[in-house]
Amino acid sequence: MSVQYLKEAAITGDHDRLLRYVRLHLGDGNEDAGRKEIDKAWVEALKLLLDVPPTDREFILGAIDRQSAATLAHLFFHLHFYFVQRSGEWIHDGQL
Amino acid sequence: MMDNSEGAQLRPGLWDTVNERYPGSMIVSADDVALVPLTRPIREARVAFVSSAGVQPRGTLPFDVVHPVGDYSFRRVPSTSRVEDLEIHQLKYPTDGAARDLNVIFPIERLQELAAEGAIGGLTPEFFSFIGYNMDPVSFERTLAQELADAVVAEQPDVVLLAPA
Repeated sequence: MSVQYLKEAAITGDHDRLLRYVRLHLGDGNEDAGRKEIDKAWVEALKLLLDVPPTDREFILGAIDRQSAATLAHLFFHLHFYFVQRSGEWIHDGQL
Repeated sequence: MMDNSEGAQLRPGLWDTVNERYPGSMIVSADDVALVPLTRPIREARVAFVSSAGVQPRGTLPFDVVHPVGDYSFRRVPSTSRVEDLEIHQLKYPTDGAARDLNVIFPIERLQELAAEGAIGGLTPEFFSFIGYNMDPVSFERTLAQELADAVVAEQPDVVLLAPA
């Protein structure tokens, strides 16, 4: 999907088209795989917090406060792959 | 040995569905650059190498393989590099073989050998690499392709070897 195709979807509120693109990206061209990858990342993140370990909320809030929305969106994609890699189940052909 | 017949594709039908899965992502240009004849014998020709394999010198900023729209930057790879000084950042193709021998995707040692043997005239000081996951053909053509072309021309090659990943 070209960026123009996605921008049109964003303007018209066609979220299904945008979501499909995200799933295709995260699933290396396989939408079902992408859906599972999203779930996998959330499960991995949740598992890390079940024991309520100490976390650096000042860092988190500071980053949210100081960084641009675009940088945080970029970080969001980085975090997805971080947690997927951490899960130990790597479906991608290559490496980060 | 891997069977290279069509039935042995890792992802059968992949290319049949590219336009369905990624509509509008294919570059369609009416301004194809014509091939030009070689102006000197290959034994005298200076060769540049351009690859979309995502190969880069260790320690340089990794290619952005997580960005949903792609990475429109390129890396310079000194043609004198040793393979152990290089690494791959790429999600979209199997890198197992390249991890065992980088030359299967980025044949830098073979080119160094050809230059040493005199089969080619020499190598440009810099080779170039980028990643192929770029979903904005317009940005690709106007930024990465243009900047990369300028950088290659500055190396004054007689031949440019292009290798997709």
